[in-house]
Amino acid sequence: MRARGRATIGLVAGGLVAAPVLIGIAYAGLAAVGLAGVGRAGAGGGRVFRVLGDPESWEAVWWSVRTAAAATAIAAVAAVGVGLAFRGQARGHRAAHLLSVLPLPIPHLVAAAAGVLLLSQSGVLARLAYAVGLINGPAQMPLVVGDPAGVGFVLTLAWKEFPFLALVTFSLLATRGPAMEEAARTLGATPRQTFRRVTMPMLSRGLLPAIIVVFIVIAGSYEAGALLSGSHPQPLPVLTYERYLDVDLSRRGDAYALTLLGLVIGVTAVALHEWARAWSDDGG
Amino acid sequence: MGVSRANAASRAVLLAALTVSAGTPFVVLGVTSAAGSWFFPAVWPASWTGDAWALLAGSLGSATWASTAIATSTAALSCLVGWPTGRAIAALSGWRRHLAAALAFLPVAAPAIAVGIGAQYFFLRVGLAGTWAGVVLAHAIPASGLASLYFLSVFLTVDLRMEDEARSLGAGPWLVLARVTVPALRRQVAEAAALGFLVSWSQVPLTLLVGGGTVRTLPIQVFSYLHAGEERYAAAGALLLVVPPMLVLGAAVFATGRTEVVTA
Repeated sequence: MRARGRATIGLVAGGLVAAPVLIGIAYAGLAAVGLAGVGRAGAGGGRVFRVLGDPESWEAVWWSVRTAAAATAIAAVAAVGVGLAFRGQARGHRAAHLLSVLPLPIPHLVAAAAGVLLLSQSGVLARLAYAVGLINGPAQMPLVVGDPAGVGFVLTLAWKEFPFLALVTFSLLATRGPAMEEAARTLGATPRQTFRRVTMPMLSRGLLPAIIVVFIVIAGSYEAGALLSGSHPQPLPVLTYERYLDVDLSRRGDAYALTLLGLVIGVTAVALHEWARAWSDDGG
Repeated sequence: MGVSRANAASRAVLLAALTVSAGTPFVVLGVTSAAGSWFFPAVWPASWTGDAWALLAGSLGSATWASTAIATSTAALSCLVGWPTGRAIAALSGWRRHLAAALAFLPVAAPAIAVGIGAQYFFLRVGLAGTWAGVVLAHAIPASGLASLYFLSVFLTVDLRMEDEARSLGAGPWLVLARVTVPALRRQVAEAAALGFLVSWSQVPLTLLVGGGTVRTLPIQVFSYLHAGEERYAAAGALLLVVPPMLVLGAAVFATGRTEVVTA
């Protein structure tokens, strides 16, 4: 009886913390079919179908998913590389750990500001390139801020999220690594086999929840997208916000349908994360 | 011998790259914040000015104050919500714990812009839109989720048998909480508060949506300077934004070094 009461309390508490988002989903759902919100037009799925049928919506989703995947992949590869290169306790290794983790708490907005100042066509890198004779003017600098491909966004967010993945990698290598690797070596595995069969699977399994978190954070990032992306295609959060403030009231309602799209991506990622964490803990 | 020398050389190169990677943004922001005229293709500013930093007595100063007050309130609120929630979830097992943890994770993982648009109507209805209290409540949505997850991991690992001892000596639940549990978890509460502070401190979309332009936190000020092309002011504000996070990181590194605990 007492156990059942506890089970209810825990679930209710989790539900209360999620409530603002759940209510938001419900509200956005009602607004998306025209039953609530700005530009309310009576019940009907017309708006949802219009937004889902609009190529711009899917371009935004694809832009956000594609750039988040690319930035996450770059950050993860760099984190694993640095983690493996600096596994020791010597001074240089400790310095590498500290330098890797140092930018960890920098806000996205600050990273994006630095990205703009560094990477734009008249930014610091362009000036350095001009100084050494690589380019003859700003126009020759490759466009990476406000470009359709989102190169500047990917580079900035990869830099921003590298410290978090590096921190998790250092921790995995320090805690789970040695015992498992030693066991493999004792059983006769060569260093190469140990690396391929023990170290790398342990890292990929242990890193997966963190990788999913990083993907979610980048895909949902508004301010970095607003500062670093171009006007077409736009990241999903930026397109959502612009629709929400559209001078055309009937288009404002479209923001709710886009909000639902963003929340669907978020909910999917949460489910994946919980599954990955259970899987990762089993393997640990 | 040759291999280890090559390894040492590549480590040195990697270490240099990490130094550049960690230091460049600070240098670029620092120089920009004080650069007078600095036109392409000059690598270094031609003149210097302190006018951006003088804004500490103006827009940047008041924004810093707004952010500090809002982030501190958010930190306190998220701890008050996160502690009991994390503890209640930790008492669960099996699929129930996974489901409850996923629910607590939802506000952290959902894009802030989506959370803000979903919630804005209610903030407008109850008259909290455009107020500091409304912005604190909005920031507390993701911060409480994060604090719940943080306290969940705390209560899954700490040994709370001392609570039973206190209870067997006749202490009531509030006395146990105030005199035993909270003092024992001082460091964890400080860490949760720091997390809540940072979530609020760096928040942009929720402040834009619920603050409606009238609540000018430091990120909002920096964001609008960047949009207006006021790079010098934006850079000074961005550097101010980095100060509390760096203090928190410094404290965490210091605490880790002292207790020899590897953060997971």
